[in-house]
Amino acid sequence: MAGIYYFIMVPMVYISIAVLIVGIAVKAASILAAPAPAYSLKTYPARKRPGLAALADTFGMGMIRRRNPVFWFFLVWFHLGMIFLLLGHLDLFPAIHLVPAASRHMVGAGAVGVSVTVPAFYFLFRRFKGQNRHISVPADYLLLLLLLFTFLLGDMMSWGNSWTAHGFVMTKAAFRSYFGILSGFTFIDPRTVLHGSHYHFVVLHVFLAELFLMILPFSKIVHTFFSLPLNLLRRR
Amino acid sequence: MDEVMTNYLKGLFETKLNKAMRLYLDTCARCGLCVDACHVYASMPETKYTPVGRAEVIRKLFRRYFKLQGKFAPWLGETIPLSDIGFDQAYEAAFSCTGCRRCVGFCPFGIDTQQVMGIAKLLLIGVERQPQILAMLSDMSVAKGETYLDSAESYVEALKNLEPQVEALAPTPEGRAAIPVGAAGADILYVGLSGAHSIVPAAAIMNAARENWTLSYFEAVNFGAWLGDAKKQAKISSRIVEEAERLGVKEVVVVECGTATRVLKFQAGRHSFKVLSIIELIDRYLAEGRIKLKAGTIPGRLTYHDPCQLARNSGVIEEPRRVIKALGADFVELTPTREDNWCCGGGGGLISLGEQEFRMKSSKVKADQVKAAKAGTICTACENCHTQLTELNEHYGLGMEVASLTNLVAHALTGFAEKN
Repeated sequence: MAGIYYFIMVPMVYISIAVLIVGIAVKAASILAAPAPAYSLKTYPARKRPGLAALADTFGMGMIRRRNPVFWFFLVWFHLGMIFLLLGHLDLFPAIHLVPAASRHMVGAGAVGVSVTVPAFYFLFRRFKGQNRHISVPADYLLLLLLLFTFLLGDMMSWGNSWTAHGFVMTKAAFRSYFGILSGFTFIDPRTVLHGSHYHFVVLHVFLAELFLMILPFSKIVHTFFSLPLNLLRRR
Repeated sequence: MDEVMTNYLKGLFETKLNKAMRLYLDTCARCGLCVDACHVYASMPETKYTPVGRAEVIRKLFRRYFKLQGKFAPWLGETIPLSDIGFDQAYEAAFSCTGCRRCVGFCPFGIDTQQVMGIAKLLLIGVERQPQILAMLSDMSVAKGETYLDSAESYVEALKNLEPQVEALAPTPEGRAAIPVGAAGADILYVGLSGAHSIVPAAAIMNAARENWTLSYFEAVNFGAWLGDAKKQAKISSRIVEEAERLGVKEVVVVECGTATRVLKFQAGRHSFKVLSIIELIDRYLAEGRIKLKAGTIPGRLTYHDPCQLARNSGVIEEPRRVIKALGADFVELTPTREDNWCCGGGGGLISLGEQEFRMKSSKVKADQVKAAKAGTICTACENCHTQLTELNEHYGLGMEVASLTNLVAHALTGFAEKN
């Protein structure tokens, strides 16, 4: 079991990131290599600055705000949460200090995890209702469940460290050491810096996150990368 | 289905996989926001009538034959094979969609269901299950491009019979024909439809403006576009493009036909002339003071239906409103309006296909919208929309007049004495 844990915690991290990068690169290359549409696909009224309009569509999601403000609220909440989630993980690298290095708090002090978990529940539940249920395929539910469990396990760590003094055995400093192992390519067993019985949850969190990264280029989550080009298509 | 056929159809599918299509097929999050965009779903709430429901038929084929998922875990995306079941679904998806593109404005990524349905239509052609009426009409249009000179003389004769009707609306400038045909050196080539109603009002307006124009030998309508046959669409368009270039016109003006306008404006390749709709031309004449209109020729309240292909898909949104303002009508907007307007339900070739029961049922939301405007007259600038609105008017007992905007303008022309 220790060998599997090590594989998940170190080599598989690199593998999953490589799969993500190569997968996206191959997908982007296949799109770029495809012929351009024979004619403009834009819709009207035309915008004076189509590039800015596409940016507004992508990041402001005005078309959703106008038609389904509740969904828009959760989407904005979720996507902002994802940005902070990324920052929170970057903060764990030894060379990066978004919050004071001495602080035991992670970025957001636990709130970031909640900001992705609550909307993920909403996204999952809305798929059981009305037309959303009929248009959903198994992959939609599985992807949301994967995200949800990854988030919940992450919440355990960030809450445990940020909201209570002794809630989680592993401290932010311990995670920082683990990220140091990864960024330094030292291939040291993370068990040497991540002590305590909660290690199983950390491994599971990392494993689910790796699955997510590897699935991303082959799933609808590619909208992370292709939403802007798509919106440009309808604006110019 | 044997392997040869499967490979042939996969090949056809692949011809549609351009940059945009790859993004459309890969990126849909099935968020369901497009569901409320479709007039068919709003009137007949079934999943197969949602934009995502239609597009999923094609995505399921895409996942099956072009993605790893189709090979290793087809159940994940509920993929379907290129079988008869798939084609029945493809037919229903493709020909219950009017191609109005209202859903493009609802989708956070701007996914274009009309484009995705282009694959469904191409596959149907591949298995010879395309609607025969549209195929026949397309073939007739293509054939006319090759043999029009044989019937040119009788066409000119028939037009002569329409001249009194044109003269009744506006005098013909001296030294010119009321309906000139194939006149080299004209500034404008006007492309009508088959039927006097598409020629007489436009001729009167252009004569009133003392325009140097000529009429095309061909009809503007492009059945190839509705059929989803890009080759036939191009051949049908090229008849007009070649005629315009042969005559050396500066502009091609398209009759009230949304699809014809969009096809010639955006989908007919590069050409030496500009393409505009008759409504844009009328708006320009009014702005330049080349025509004058009598106010108050329209009794009661007037509303306007934005044809999808003209407004949302070609940008002709403000022009008809300025023309209506010049008519001095008691104008009321439909709700929703402009680029958000509901499709009439007659586009995508559905009028040509007949399908009256489906068209009436699927456009209940349109009838409700029109009724709520409490107008005595509804005008529009598309032949298809006009036909559909007329049938909706009768079917739902709306008690309105359905009018063509060009015709309203032609019957309000005034102030000729100073010009002629």
